[in-house]
Amino acid sequence: MGEYCERCEEVMQPFLDRQLTSEEQGTAEAHLSECAYCNARYTFENELRVLVKKACNEEMSPELKAKLASLKETQA
Amino acid sequence: MSEATSDSEPRQLAAEARNRVRFEEEALELADQVYRVARRLVSSREEAEDLVQETYARAFRSWQSYTPGTNMRAWLLRILTNLNIDRGRKQQRTPDSQPLEEGDYFLYNRMEQTSGTPAEERIDQKLSQDTIVTALSAVPHDFRDVIVLVDIGDFSYADAAQILDIPVGTVMSRLHRGRRILKRELAERVGA
Repeated sequence: MGEYCERCEEVMQPFLDRQLTSEEQGTAEAHLSECAYCNARYTFENELRVLVKKACNEEMSPELKAKLASLKETQA
Repeated sequence: MSEATSDSEPRQLAAEARNRVRFEEEALELADQVYRVARRLVSSREEAEDLVQETYARAFRSWQSYTPGTNMRAWLLRILTNLNIDRGRKQQRTPDSQPLEEGDYFLYNRMEQTSGTPAEERIDQKLSQDTIVTALSAVPHDFRDVIVLVDIGDFSYADAAQILDIPVGTVMSRLHRGRRILKRELAERVGA
């Protein structure tokens, strides 16, 4: 583990959310390009976010959809 | 003069009817997205369905309080979260100061330890949909609401702040902490 790794862990979320200042972003990017340890963990976090979103992609039933449409005040 | 008034009234009514139809169509198009968020805010499917129905009933009744051109999805979710609170969901006061020892690398490290392979390899096989959904439901409400809105609903920090009626800074801190809690919950389930 390198000197910056601990800091890199701390800034992971704001980094991925693009909330860091450009200077901090640059420092983290430089570190990530040469640190396999942190790079793997950032890659993992990205994949995890996609997976969480996919896992929660539950569709509503057609019955509910029909019910909602029937709630309209104007019946065309 | 009197002719002009009697003439403009039906025209106004027609315009209002058109606006209402447009509002209803737009709202219904967003129903899938509203449901997806609702489903993760409450614990059961039935509860989510009731909540979405109530939300739409209220939205259709008070459609005139919606300002055209603003974010309708956020407007609908605001109604939904308020209804959810009215229905007796207690606003959890989870102490923000409670220390969370696990950092953001914790889940990765844990998974690497248990499987002996890099955690990013075949992540979808290591973390099933069921595991993720159960882990998310174990995250305390205050934190989960923010994760659901931002990471699942794709709302901006500002929209999430408006929907939940909390400052943007609180959205960010709860989001960061909530994601860590989620990873801790996931770690408990992959190790088992």
